Amino acid sequence: MALESSCDETAVAILNFKNDSFNILANLVSSQVQVHAKYGGVVPEVAARLHIEKIIPLIQTALKQAGKKLKDVDCLAVTAGPGLMSSLMIGTETAKALALSLNKPLIRINHIEGHLLSASEKLKFPAVGLVVSGGHTQIILVNDYLKYKLIGETRDDAAGEAFDKVAKILGLGYPGGPAIGAAAEKAISMKKLSGITIQLPRPMLDKQGFEMSFSGLKTSVLYKWNELKKRLKPTELDNAKCLMAAEFQRAVVDVLIGKTILAAKKYDAQTIILGGGVSANKLLRAEVVDMADKKLPGVKVIIPEIKMTGDNASMIAQAAYFHLLKKDFIDPLKLKPDPNWQLVS
Amino acid sequence: MITKSEKETIKLGEKFAKTLEGGEVIIMIGDLGAGKTTLVKGVAKGLGITKVVNSPTFVLMKIYQIKVAEKKIRNLIHIDTYRGLEIADLHNIGAIEYFHRKDCVSFVEWGAGLEDYLRQNKISYQTIKIENISENERKIIIKNK
Repeated sequence: MALESSCDETAVAILNFKNDSFNILANLVSSQVQVHAKYGGVVPEVAARLHIEKIIPLIQTALKQAGKKLKDVDCLAVTAGPGLMSSLMIGTETAKALALSLNKPLIRINHIEGHLLSASEKLKFPAVGLVVSGGHTQIILVNDYLKYKLIGETRDDAAGEAFDKVAKILGLGYPGGPAIGAAAEKAISMKKLSGITIQLPRPMLDKQGFEMSFSGLKTSVLYKWNELKKRLKPTELDNAKCLMAAEFQRAVVDVLIGKTILAAKKYDAQTIILGGGVSANKLLRAEVVDMADKKLPGVKVIIPEIKMTGDNASMIAQAAYFHLLKKDFIDPLKLKPDPNWQLVS
Repeated sequence: MITKSEKETIKLGEKFAKTLEGGEVIIMIGDLGAGKTTLVKGVAKGLGITKVVNSPTFVLMKIYQIKVAEKKIRNLIHIDTYRGLEIADLHNIGAIEYFHRKDCVSFVEWGAGLEDYLRQNKISYQTIKIENISENERKIIIKNK
């Protein structure tokens, strides 16, 4: 049984492992996104309170769905970071209590490792993983299961955070990813606007290395948008908004894919992995397959199903399996969440 | 002060870091894209931090340890209340405790809403206001309160 509560989703999963393959018996996520939408982002105090309310009933429902009793659980896993301290604590404290009372081993899992292993396909090594979400934008070299090395990350804003903030600038609502994706799709079918071309930078793309940056891109959007607001009529502005969303999305995807392909080339990767909430983005999913096909034929691209891109507990259980094989357990009394936990080995 | 590029803002942050003695709380005010995190990057550099300082919006607070310090400052606390944080949240994540520590300097982005609380609790603080002049130019005003 795995628990996940690092941000605004409370999640419980029960998986049955047998000879390196697994069945998902239950995989429940209780999302708070509607509650937080009115604040334009996750409010930690509210998130923590909702996690407390949800987690026990969710465990009960998951057991019922799996047709299991609490005593049938052989091992517990929990996300211990990175994430919001007050949210993480609800999951870890619950898992500690269960592990102690049931006298079963406990495994602590890094949230990023969960996203890397969220698809069920087997990996060929070395693999290069791109994990993109509201809080993370990292490129990770995976030399084997449990062997991770961070090779690039954002210097400032996470990609998902940039989506949220740009959506706010453009007045498109929260969460920003789907809002910008929808506006961008409208732009495809739109006629060209006379006198308007929107061109945004591709930060760091021409630089060596795997560092990324999205803060300057956000600032560019802000300035271009303020300028357009001054000179366009309201009807034109609506169209310009869609064009801006499309160009912004394109710019983010260009940088993410460009850096990932570069890393895959350098490390001679056999697999490219996509993971995290932003990997639900249609353009990103299509583009990673396309670019890998063109530039790195033969390299396998693994993309999780849409429902597995967001935070969930099945991915935590899937990651925990490899720790279980090595008996990498932690004493429940010693487990503490770490909001800034870096995935390294 | 006026800075004309991201580089100059970082330089200013480095310079500002040299004036810090420990125990300071700095409230940062400025719009999206003003360069608040950029300035903190400069401060981090000035304090000898080599780790990447990136946006704390998601985790609310990032702590950077200073290993080789000339002064008694041991930690740079980088807080972001962009998401409408309340005082209870700051207590929850342990941020308030750092405001009282002489071995820490704390920078709070979007911290304008915190000023009343700091005044009531007699915690002295400074403000840094960053105004956008153009895409690259910034007016930066530093005040003691």
